[in-house]
Amino acid sequence: MVIDVHVHPGFYGTISKDPGEVELRKKAAGWDLMSPHPEKVTFTQMDAFGVDKLVLLPLDLTTTMGGWVCTNEEIKTLVDLAPERFIGFASVDPRRKDAPEVLEHAFKNLGLCGLKLNPCKQAFFPADPMMDPIYKLCQKYNKPIMFHAGMSWEPNCLMKYGHPLNFEEVAQRYPEVRMCMAHFGWPWAVETAALILKYPNLYTDTAALYMDSPEAFMDQIFNRTWGPLWFEHNFADKVMFGSNNPRFRSARIKRGLDSIEMREETREKLLGGNALRFLGMEG
Amino acid sequence: MVKTTTIELLSKKEFELIKITGDVRRLVEESGIQNGVVYVITAHTTTGIIVNESLSCLEIDIEEMLERMVPTVYPYAHSHFLPSYGATGGNAPGHLKSLLAGNHAVLPVMDGKLYCGRAQDIYFAEFDGVQSRKVFITVMGE
Repeated sequence: MVIDVHVHPGFYGTISKDPGEVELRKKAAGWDLMSPHPEKVTFTQMDAFGVDKLVLLPLDLTTTMGGWVCTNEEIKTLVDLAPERFIGFASVDPRRKDAPEVLEHAFKNLGLCGLKLNPCKQAFFPADPMMDPIYKLCQKYNKPIMFHAGMSWEPNCLMKYGHPLNFEEVAQRYPEVRMCMAHFGWPWAVETAALILKYPNLYTDTAALYMDSPEAFMDQIFNRTWGPLWFEHNFADKVMFGSNNPRFRSARIKRGLDSIEMREETREKLLGGNALRFLGMEG
Repeated sequence: MVKTTTIELLSKKEFELIKITGDVRRLVEESGIQNGVVYVITAHTTTGIIVNESLSCLEIDIEEMLERMVPTVYPYAHSHFLPSYGATGGNAPGHLKSLLAGNHAVLPVMDGKLYCGRAQDIYFAEFDGVQSRKVFITVMGE
């Protein structure tokens, strides 16, 4: 089972019929020169490159941009379209007054499987007490959180909110809530390593390819920034395959990971087993 | 007279040779043009148009030759973060294979039909799949 845990479906045809919405998504996410395509293209890509499921992430920017980069309802629409391929997450803008209601509706009525938050784009520190009602809902419904962590390419957002150490207090206060600090927390991948080593409920994903080729970037992370044995010997259960598509192609990130030496059992965890545990879907 | 039609394709692999001779033949006949030429032109920069003999062994040779000349893994200058896309350039091999294949082919039209040599077939060559693609078929003549 291969699961890409980090996909933004901002250009999926079914939810891209309104050009104004697509433009807002492009502007908010810093995706330029990209355009909508039918889901058939995504399904064909998944089949061609051996990816079984995608975790689809929305983002609620109501108070900062007056809109969403894909709404919870749009994610639900996509999941209904292909429940065997798509796993849908919810989002909520923590600064909106009805944040708990929006989130509870997404978990309870839309059946979404987790929460996506982007502290940089949504401009909050993860340990801000304002976040407690949101974290308590994740705890109540046993839903994991996908946090953006590390560098943010998007315009109008600051990286300071996404430093991995900002998540430590949250991980400690909510040990039952599984949380992913995405993108290796890059460029703070060593800090990310320390945190996922220490806190059983913290994970990271591989959704980063900022500097060069898939092979060179993954070699840098797995063998140089981290020691060559760190991943396999210490946190083989804590890193998940993710791509950050459409910024990076799922197939290319997977190609980079395929070039890293590891035991087959470890690779299975990286590509899907860890995601199943993070998502609460482990058999 | 000039008549241009667009055909759309969905490639299914990163490298794929898709035979489009039948489409070109049909569009020539539908154009009503009796004598002239047909241009087959890709709309993309990581694809090509190839005329060759339709044998699976040759298709393998073409793919392997291009891979030897333009390997997937190499320190290409294009492999860097592109602010204009908000993404990292990962398809340098596709661009370079496109350069080698060329973006178009030209064939004669005679008596209202595509006029090919016995061994000639027209391929759309995908070097950066899986993607949705467009090919322009322009028939020129009288």
